[in-house]
Amino acid sequence: MSTEIKNFRLNFGPQHPAAHGVLRLIVELDGERIERSEPHIGLLHRGSEKLMEDKAYNQNVPFFERMDYVSAINQPYAYVLAVEKLAGIQVPKRGQYLRMLVSELSRIGSHSLSMGALANDVGAITPLILGLEIRERISEFCERASGARMHGNYIRPGGVSFDMKQELLDDILTYMDDLTNDIQACDDLLSENRIFKQRTVDIGVISAKQALSYGFTGPNLRACGVEWDIRKSQPYDAYEEIDFNIAVSSDGDTYARYAVRLFEIRETIKIVRQLIKNMPAGRHKTDDEKFTNPKRKKMQSSMESLIHHFKLFSEGYHVPAGEVYESVEAPKGEFGVYVIADGTNKPYRVKVKTTSVPHLSALNELTKGHMLSDIPAILGSIDIVFGESDR
Amino acid sequence: MLKIKILLKNIEGVLTDIKKTVEITPQNEVKLVVDKQDLKLAISLLKDHTALKFNLITDIIGVDRINQEGYEKRFDVIYILTSTSLQTHMKIVVSVDIDEDIPSITDLFIGADWLEREVWDMFGIPFDAHPDLRRLLTDYGFEGHPLRKDFPVYGYSEVRYDEEVGKVIYEPVKLQQDYRQFNSLSPWEGLNSQPQQDQAQAVAMPGDEKANV
Repeated sequence: MSTEIKNFRLNFGPQHPAAHGVLRLIVELDGERIERSEPHIGLLHRGSEKLMEDKAYNQNVPFFERMDYVSAINQPYAYVLAVEKLAGIQVPKRGQYLRMLVSELSRIGSHSLSMGALANDVGAITPLILGLEIRERISEFCERASGARMHGNYIRPGGVSFDMKQELLDDILTYMDDLTNDIQACDDLLSENRIFKQRTVDIGVISAKQALSYGFTGPNLRACGVEWDIRKSQPYDAYEEIDFNIAVSSDGDTYARYAVRLFEIRETIKIVRQLIKNMPAGRHKTDDEKFTNPKRKKMQSSMESLIHHFKLFSEGYHVPAGEVYESVEAPKGEFGVYVIADGTNKPYRVKVKTTSVPHLSALNELTKGHMLSDIPAILGSIDIVFGESDR
Repeated sequence: MLKIKILLKNIEGVLTDIKKTVEITPQNEVKLVVDKQDLKLAISLLKDHTALKFNLITDIIGVDRINQEGYEKRFDVIYILTSTSLQTHMKIVVSVDIDEDIPSITDLFIGADWLEREVWDMFGIPFDAHPDLRRLLTDYGFEGHPLRKDFPVYGYSEVRYDEEVGKVIYEPVKLQQDYRQFNSLSPWEGLNSQPQQDQAQAVAMPGDEKANV
């Protein structure tokens, strides 16, 4: 006598604590083994791209911070670079260094949280607490620099909104020593941990060729053995002057992705130290008052500045017609922005190249043949944020 | 700059049989314009040729050109490809009209699957021979293509939870106040960019209606 066993279909999410957001994953199971998984995204779709066509150039910057809310500072960076290229805005050296500094700090925050979340998903709680603490310290520095912990609107076309005081830079430099210890603690807890390795080694393997075909970027691509980092290959701002290494692993599994992130935090600490040591003096943003707001003191005595201020915050500025694609190395991969300007004060079209969409589209490939309980580990290791993938 | 010029030469050499225009944009990017029937051949040559190796698909971008002058067809689909060996990216532009389909490149890049689904969702450009052309970002049962320029920013329907029915319901959009379009554009500033001066003078300026009273 034989009985026919049907495959079991499971709805994972949209509200599930291990899904890192609103992901609806339809999993087809044979026993506990995954036959097929199909992600449904778009549950956090807010129509940012449509809204941006309706707003002036400088009003669009905060939209980008609300995409990948875990590393809010890196996203507007790409947009700001694109607008600067189209409008021909020159950024002073100090402004460039400050932008690089905050984006590297935000990279540390994002990586430490994603490592902690991965560890939490496979059953270790302490690294998550460590990761959250690191992120909290980074948020405090962001608050001191921009006035807001997370969405500071710090990077703007023409430079950054506020200068950093020397004591803040000193404090960041001092914190880098503490951070090195915290990362070492994370490393000690996880890297050689038997349970962690059992849950991550050889789970969710993808080859370099497949990863490129899917459009992987960032740590997930580097974990497959492709040496690809926008900061090295197409250096923006002053990354050419910085000395750092790229983490590459050849395994392409969940553990490799974790190891690449861990190495990257250490490299980022190196970058932050170099940036603070070589911080140039001078203005933190361009002096062209057509693109940045003038000083309040100056506005009280100069009619010209008052007009500039009013024009900047009502009409904005006109960007000459043109199209450009600019990308930055965000913590999760290549984050790019395609801006089409038509000569008015609003962009004609803004397209966001997200980091998470290619990684999510490969989820079926990554999870196929694994156990149901491996899904949280794989999701944690590809480091996705739905605010960004859904826009 | 030199690197880009060499790349341009190489691309022209590889794509000899294809009707195309290759140029360097003022923003220093390589732009290739091809017809839609040559698209797949062009991309496969760019991907596999040893001198180029554009092996990473970065993005597929839809653009609605309806409000822009100088475009024959309504939509542009822009493919951004990256070469990890040359460490650069380039764009390929294909123009299509409304209801005209475009060949899918999912057999060349698996990652194009979702990117093409997004373009279909947002612009309604169908991709020929796409394995699974469903909407990607909008709601189940959504109607219309939101990034077309004739789609209003506030959409057509809104969603709320109805206490009485006990489920989420869809209703036509009811705005409590009119959608405010802050048109703070100085009318005289845009005129500088217009090519003909006599045409610029013909444009009505605010206050003109009072001048002739």
